[in-house]
Amino acid sequence: MKIKAAFLIAVFFLFATITSSAQELKVAVAANLQGVIRVLGKDFKQKTGIDIQPIVGSSGNLSAQIKNGAPFDLFLSADMTFTESLFKEGFGTKEPAVYAYGSLIICSTQNIGFENWERLLLSGRVKKIAIANPSIAPYGKAAEEALKLKGVLSDIQSKIVTGESIAQVNTYITTGTVDVGFTTRALIKDAGKTTIYWKEIDPKSYTPIKQGMIILKQSKESANALKFYEYMLSPAAKTILKEYGYGV
Amino acid sequence: MDLTPIWLTLKLAAITTMILLIIGLPLAYWLSKGRSIIKIILEAIITMPLVLPPSVLGFYLLMAFSPKHGIGGWLHNTFDIQLVFSFQGLILASAIYSMPFMIGPIKSALQQLPLSLSQASYTLGKSERETFIKILLPNIRASVLTAAILTFAHTLGEFGVVLMIGGNIPGVTRVASIAVYDSVENMDYASANAYSLILFCVTFIMVISVFVFNKYKAKSPLE
Repeated sequence: MKIKAAFLIAVFFLFATITSSAQELKVAVAANLQGVIRVLGKDFKQKTGIDIQPIVGSSGNLSAQIKNGAPFDLFLSADMTFTESLFKEGFGTKEPAVYAYGSLIICSTQNIGFENWERLLLSGRVKKIAIANPSIAPYGKAAEEALKLKGVLSDIQSKIVTGESIAQVNTYITTGTVDVGFTTRALIKDAGKTTIYWKEIDPKSYTPIKQGMIILKQSKESANALKFYEYMLSPAAKTILKEYGYGV
Repeated sequence: MDLTPIWLTLKLAAITTMILLIIGLPLAYWLSKGRSIIKIILEAIITMPLVLPPSVLGFYLLMAFSPKHGIGGWLHNTFDIQLVFSFQGLILASAIYSMPFMIGPIKSALQQLPLSLSQASYTLGKSERETFIKILLPNIRASVLTAAILTFAHTLGEFGVVLMIGGNIPGVTRVASIAVYDSVENMDYASANAYSLILFCVTFIMVISVFVFNKYKAKSPLE
């Protein structure tokens, strides 16, 4: 009977296991690192044989997931606030450390000139501006601060499109859904073939994006997690991060 | 492209369908017989995932099963079971989420059977259980199959609930629909397209087969 056959197939799936390599770390990764983490992971694997499985999201979402029991070994946040709060609530094994400083850029797929970007945002040429959700994505918070400092935030409010994470903002920018967006400098490398016109936002106009990481207590691979933690502070990792526009 | 999300999705859908068949058949039978306040309320609850935003279901499941809170904390401390961010949790969520697709078609098929069918069987001295298995079920075979296929297909299409209580953990909870989202986020449109195309084809075949099993008659899922 057909139903019996369906049952047998279901039973087969029940017992079919998904293979995973013996040595791997589940690393929760802030979305701004989505490209560079693969390069870092490859380099780390070459050095230690340990696989890095990145889980990419906004820092706020990932931190909420960790608090609700997500089985990550390590968390690379886009700021120190989330890692410090996790540490204070007893989720970390040791104090969080800064592994990189993020830089904010304004960019577009059109060559519209960013010399005087605050005036450009006010003009009719720009209809939609993407920033990351300021409450859960540190790059969004930085963008908001910079806009506030220039005194244009309230005037352009109706043009702002909020992305869930910096990754979504990058999608909006590279697909041309928005005219301009505020994002991480790492996008310039991540975007690949897509040409991005960009300008760095004056670092003095926003609170420095100190990107912190923390080893999580629930990790069952704490020895390997510590190895990756130390790797992230090593010269090898710093060289790669620098290539992607991070301050180290 | 990594095929793990596809396998994970098929596995999730198969297990969910199997569980719902086991729960759904007796439950639909019970619901099909007469009406009472309890039955109406229970049927409403079973049907609600059809109209409730998946995020609502996801949120409540997250709250219920987070190891920090009540039931989740108890499960965690007593049995070391964690339902959030685990495959088991996804199975539970999918079972709730897809239940109307299993119960609906079976229940209405049972109701449409002439009453004389079961009455004849009782007159001939057969028990209720035997009548259900040997007389009623064979008569609604097409509906059971429809229900199973729709349940399977609907589980493939799950997104919001999985994202909320499963996270996006490769090999554990990153099912195909999440993999599409993740690939788009990573600007990996080639993978997003591959996953989407597979899902598109699989669901197309499933919906077509529902129509075929119903003798070329298009039926709404809840009919």
